[in-house]
Amino acid sequence: MIKQGPEDQLSQFLSPQLGTLRRRAALATTGSVPFEQLPYQCFQEARKILAQDREEKVAKIIAETAKIRRLEATDASSYRGGEAYKQKRLQSLRQHVEQLKILADINDPMVKRRFEDGKGDMSKPIYRYLAHRKWCSMERKIILQRIAQFHIVPDLLPKFEPTMAVQMFFRTIKASPGATLDSRITETAPTLRMQVFDKGERLISIVVMDADVPDPESNAFSKRLHFMATNITWSPIKDALPLSRLGTDAASPDMGALPVPWLPAFAQKGSPYHRLAVFILEQENNLPLDTAKLQELYDGQGREGFSLKSFRDKFGLLPVGFNMFRTEWDENTADVMARHGIPGADVEFRRPRVMSLKPPRKARGWEAKRQTLKYRHLWKYTKRIKGIKY
Amino acid sequence: MSFYLPSLRGHASRFLTRPATLTSTPFFSPPTTATTSTQCLFAPSTRAVAFSTTPSPLAPPNAKNKGTGKPGKPGAGGKLKPGSKPAKKKGKGKGKGGEEQIDPRFINMMRHLAVLSPKRIPPPLRMGRNRHLRHWTIHRAWLLFRRRERDARERNLQRQYQSMHAAMEELRLTSGPGTRDEGYLYRVATEKKGVYGLHGVPIEYARAQTETPARVAWNHDWKR
Repeated sequence: MIKQGPEDQLSQFLSPQLGTLRRRAALATTGSVPFEQLPYQCFQEARKILAQDREEKVAKIIAETAKIRRLEATDASSYRGGEAYKQKRLQSLRQHVEQLKILADINDPMVKRRFEDGKGDMSKPIYRYLAHRKWCSMERKIILQRIAQFHIVPDLLPKFEPTMAVQMFFRTIKASPGATLDSRITETAPTLRMQVFDKGERLISIVVMDADVPDPESNAFSKRLHFMATNITWSPIKDALPLSRLGTDAASPDMGALPVPWLPAFAQKGSPYHRLAVFILEQENNLPLDTAKLQELYDGQGREGFSLKSFRDKFGLLPVGFNMFRTEWDENTADVMARHGIPGADVEFRRPRVMSLKPPRKARGWEAKRQTLKYRHLWKYTKRIKGIKY
Repeated sequence: MSFYLPSLRGHASRFLTRPATLTSTPFFSPPTTATTSTQCLFAPSTRAVAFSTTPSPLAPPNAKNKGTGKPGKPGAGGKLKPGSKPAKKKGKGKGKGGEEQIDPRFINMMRHLAVLSPKRIPPPLRMGRNRHLRHWTIHRAWLLFRRRERDARERNLQRQYQSMHAAMEELRLTSGPGTRDEGYLYRVATEKKGVYGLHGVPIEYARAQTETPARVAWNHDWKR
């Protein structure tokens, strides 16, 4: 077995005679030295270069901020481009400052270590940048693939590009995007771990909808709203939001309101898998939505035929996050539906039989050709074949 | 032993897996006599025993191979190709001693496959966390240092170029000395006399410049 641990612990397993004198001396004396002051020559030289670079970057940040302040104080009429020019210049200067803030800290080994340990302070731009880079490296690609392969984009929204990370946990078990989940697991609302990568607080709404509700009258599929929560205050430093706790006494005021409570995901027997899409929408100008109006519009009968696009347009929302799971009829679905008073557990869907439009075919084959009187001598082979009647 | 497998896959896997028993590369260096003799003794195929020509002190004395004492040719260490017939003894030629000739294309292919072998590709660096962080720090500092050097060099070159450009522009617009008209100094300064050696011309001007120059510059054997 390979032993693991920090260097000074590992060195205790060794014989005191092992290693060079230099190494033994180093191990004996550097146990309490912090990482940054470890006496490795090249490392210390490298740190000097990095520290110098950081100083340059910080000086640049100070200079740029002074420039921004000067620009803000100047009247826009003194520029040939006017107010538009001033705003554009301010915007690009601010963007430059943000970049410099990231560049100042990106070479710090302690920052890297803290981020890898998950102890990064998300209120700082460098950790947000690192988190965004990590999200883009794999998770975002998977989400984009799910959006494409499950046709979320033409079906639910005409255009959509997620900009925040959303992970879904059902009773502390992580559900990978697009997984087919047991209906007993999805009976309670999930906990969402959401990470936004731009600074500041904002108000968000959360929508969970079923995109594949079979509609036998019109021989088509419609949509249904399963959950809606609004006016949730969210910021980069926030981590997880248990949806099941919304609307209860345990909910804090910044957890927002719950116009439409959780309806368990279910699929009736025989219907193909249902896509349950979780959308995070950012509210326009951080203005709270009218909960009573939402309840009136979408609760109860309003759940059926829910359209995310019209919801977005009606209330000026911007979809920013996405995750999804699937559900199928399984052995627990009937119980779940009974427990929550959902009718239709005894319905089984079947595809309608499509009859062929081709006319019936004449009999073909060697025997069929030899049924006439001309082949009377072959009748003993061609007549009275079991199961076939010519 | 996969050494005797006739298929290519056997050889390739041998290259890629590196068995512990055989450490020398069979195609580029002749196998050691001890290893080969072991192969001869324990090889399941009798053909391999009969036609192995590598000299071996451990081989049975009545074995037919009369070793010349020379090491086998690269790539011919007692190899048998699929479908190859037992080599006949020839009075002369390269096949002396019944050595098998391996297809040079095969050797070439194996040489290219060998590039992928773990012998050639070093394993990834494995370090403890602190050590890796130190390594990373040094790496980042090195990248930063190189970037700084490059930027300084490029800035210097650009400065020199612009300064030269300004000087030439100044020359072009200057008239003189004496009664010389404008631009004389510029023309004199940009002449390439002596640049290609004393009284020299660029060697490219020695023949007519064509889009498709001849592969052989001069045919000395040409006769009418």
